[in-house]
Amino acid sequence: MNTYEKFRNMMDNHIVLSFKGEINSDIITMVLQIMETKLDAVSEKSSVRKKIFNVLVECMQNLYHHAEAEVEGDIHTRRAMLELFYDEDFYYILTGNYIKNVEISPLKDRIDRVNSLSKDELRQYYREILDNNIISNKGGADLGMIDMARKSGQKLDYNFTKVNDDLSFFDLKVKVDKKRDN
Amino acid sequence: MDNFKIEGTKQTPKIAFSASTGILEISGRSIPENTFEFFNPVLLWLDSYSAVAPQKIVAKISLEYFNTSSSKYILEVLKRLKGMLNDGKEVLVEWYYEEDDEEMMETGEDYQDVSGLPFNIVAKED
Repeated sequence: MNTYEKFRNMMDNHIVLSFKGEINSDIITMVLQIMETKLDAVSEKSSVRKKIFNVLVECMQNLYHHAEAEVEGDIHTRRAMLELFYDEDFYYILTGNYIKNVEISPLKDRIDRVNSLSKDELRQYYREILDNNIISNKGGADLGMIDMARKSGQKLDYNFTKVNDDLSFFDLKVKVDKKRDN
Repeated sequence: MDNFKIEGTKQTPKIAFSASTGILEISGRSIPENTFEFFNPVLLWLDSYSAVAPQKIVAKISLEYFNTSSSKYILEVLKRLKGMLNDGKEVLVEWYYEEDDEEMMETGEDYQDVSGLPFNIVAKED
């Protein structure tokens, strides 16, 4: 693919921003700042822009706390990806990061549980988890998935791709409806 | 007791706790990765404050965005206030949200429910 084709490809897929690289606190701050500037320029309602930014914040927090490092020789790097794109009806926030194979099953259970709940049940579940007074050492407090599901009002779409005996690649796609009013 | 003041940034909220008036303001956004670092001094101040606080305490919370790791700490702040309520103080939480931000309104209701504090949930017009 030559550069023009790459460029066309990004245009045709309506990619607002695509990031791949090391995840650290400075990078997160910068990516969110760029995202916010870009969102200010899109023609969606402020409630939709806000929802998208909320989900982005949560996704970056997830990457920060949960992305596993790849190990190449002595070098450990926490690389991950984040992409925001849209089609006619939805904005999509896509993240991808490495995860330890042993962590797949509990994570999958958590997302499936969140996906099985109705709007009201999610709210109830959110209150329960908020109230149980444990702040996990990774800071994520387990509320992230519930929060993203509530904010997006859509099921969370995910996939695991096995990389080797230790690691898999976890991708999560969160949709935000352009037309949803609440 | 000294007032507690932190200016807001792109990641962290403005904190303006006035010891003598009992007006405790948290505003802006709270999206840092290391929420403990930010909130621990806030909680420590509130711990000392409970002994010297005036009879009437009003917390004004006006947040545009916060991440879920901040949400537990916001509840911790409210739990400190609940302690003061249980000690016989008069405590009110004023929860502000932007008019079109239904989620932030619902979040206020969630906190009201979970904390058991009196809340006044107020829409801000742009």
